[in-house]
Amino acid sequence: MKTKTFIAIFLSIISTGSFSQTAKEISKKSIDAIDVGNIEMISTINIRDAKGNKRVRQITTASKQFGGVTKMLIRFIAPADVKGTSILVYDYENESDNMWIYLPALRKVRRVVSSEKGKSFMGSEFTNADMSKPNTEDFDYNIIGTEMYEGKSCWKIETTSKTEAIANENGFKKRISYTDKSNYVSYKVEYYDAEGKLRRIQTLSNYKKQPNGKYFAYYMSMESVQSGRKSEMIIDKLQSGSQLPESAFAPTALEK
Amino acid sequence: MRKGVFFGENDQMIQFKELFAGYRGEKLDALMGNQIINWGRSDGFNPTNNITPNDYFFLSSNPDDQKESNFMLRLKYRFIPAIELDLIAIPFYASSNYRYDLFEMGENVNFGAEIIPPKELNNSTLAARLNFEFPAAGWSVSYFNGFDPYHGFDVQSVDWTSGMPLLTNVSTPYRKTTLGADVAIPLGNWIFRAEAAYNTTKNPDSNMFIPLSDVGYVAAIETNIAGVTLIGQYIGKYTPDFFDLPLPVLSNPMDPMAQFQYANQMIDYENRLFNRKIFYQQEKTNHAVSLTLSKSFGYDAWNAELTNYYNFTSNEMILRPKLSWKITDALTSAIGVNYMQGDSKSLFGYSSKVMNGGFLELKVTF
Repeated sequence: MKTKTFIAIFLSIISTGSFSQTAKEISKKSIDAIDVGNIEMISTINIRDAKGNKRVRQITTASKQFGGVTKMLIRFIAPADVKGTSILVYDYENESDNMWIYLPALRKVRRVVSSEKGKSFMGSEFTNADMSKPNTEDFDYNIIGTEMYEGKSCWKIETTSKTEAIANENGFKKRISYTDKSNYVSYKVEYYDAEGKLRRIQTLSNYKKQPNGKYFAYYMSMESVQSGRKSEMIIDKLQSGSQLPESAFAPTALEK
Repeated sequence: MRKGVFFGENDQMIQFKELFAGYRGEKLDALMGNQIINWGRSDGFNPTNNITPNDYFFLSSNPDDQKESNFMLRLKYRFIPAIELDLIAIPFYASSNYRYDLFEMGENVNFGAEIIPPKELNNSTLAARLNFEFPAAGWSVSYFNGFDPYHGFDVQSVDWTSGMPLLTNVSTPYRKTTLGADVAIPLGNWIFRAEAAYNTTKNPDSNMFIPLSDVGYVAAIETNIAGVTLIGQYIGKYTPDFFDLPLPVLSNPMDPMAQFQYANQMIDYENRLFNRKIFYQQEKTNHAVSLTLSKSFGYDAWNAELTNYYNFTSNEMILRPKLSWKITDALTSAIGVNYMQGDSKSLFGYSSKVMNGGFLELKVTF
């Protein structure tokens, strides 16, 4: 009996791959495999409610790293009521982000509280947290198995918020990612609330390898399990390696 | 374009909100034309923001719609991305609009056409602001010299032909010099803001439409609790040279000349008091607070907002709840209430009779 148990545990360790890599290492590689730190792109967000009604948003995004800080500039192109609105985020590894917003009606750049990472991004199923790199120190990681996903052998990685405050800030208590063993990109992420209920399912596809060797998903969808709403983000145009100078990522440049 | 019945009068007008042209570069912006300027880091109460006027009687669910432009040359120079200098030159004065003619101030008070300063170089306005915006904090220092759009009132004439005084008041601008500063400091889930301005005026003739020199200041906090954005502000004003206006005394009730002199003194006294209300100089210090709560829900399709302002010195208040709903991407509806309250002879007491009410707005964006 003891021998059988030992073999079962041993096989489990082999199969999850944690023998060679920890879940945290895999997650870090998964984050690094995606090219989000230095890009310029135009994307369209389609938001469909449970009745099938559709709303469309279009944004431009530019991000670039300067001295360990990822600076992200989002400009709203459509619809007309938000056109001209710009958001600037300074995303730090281990401290609160800085965030500024320019609203055309207000005619000034305004610093805003950045703690609302779990809030809906532009009224979609995506959250602000989905738009930026997660802070790996905020979470515990576990490999909970392996599974074939659309023909790809994937790790199932469970990521759990270390504290309730982190869970509240990011809008989920736990998530399970299906991460490709060959290139570390994720195809599916399930988000769970504090009660352990599945709230949202994200799927990522149409990955394209960028000139710098990193990947980017040109199609992402997020489905709300409870409401039946679904949002898609389609990358219309992407340029790896932003050519913008640091001055373009300054709050004083937001109203241009 | 506006067309309709506003405050009981048919009105039709075409107005350019802003119309300007110029150059925008990495280091320098040079823009000329009608522009709206909004200086200051606090919300809604900005003692450093004296440049462009407001139409306080433009009815809209969004107070930002009340901002009006003025013709100017604006130069912005960025020394480095985080430091910019804003220079503004305004050749012609434009006043804020507050319709005291709509108020029930008695049958013997009329309002005449506003006084506009002659279009001369020495009547122009100059303003400058050096703004710093770093991740740890943002702050600025500013200078303004010119006519304040937030004008006072003068008694233009007193007509005694009917035996009772018939007053004609006119909005009258005055020059001031303002040194201002503001700051915003983020601290975790909180942002602390402060803004202050030292206003100096010259008034050798003791005109009633020119306020005393004063210091206006705002201290504010902003945070987010359970998805509700909360902005709390203290708004104060300190008038160092404040003095109580001497109440006129009728020296000899039987003397017609003394009665006439007394009536004129009372007219002067009442109108000086009225101007002091406009300038929040009823006491040496003026204390007020405001609180704004805002929450978006239903995937940002809905927004509920409550704004409250209370002036402890003058016992005036505003309560403004609003609920807006984005019906489609192009169509937004808003419903709400504007409720003002004040003592009978206070500004809010007068304006509440005109401005109190509910509103329902449908806004098409294209």
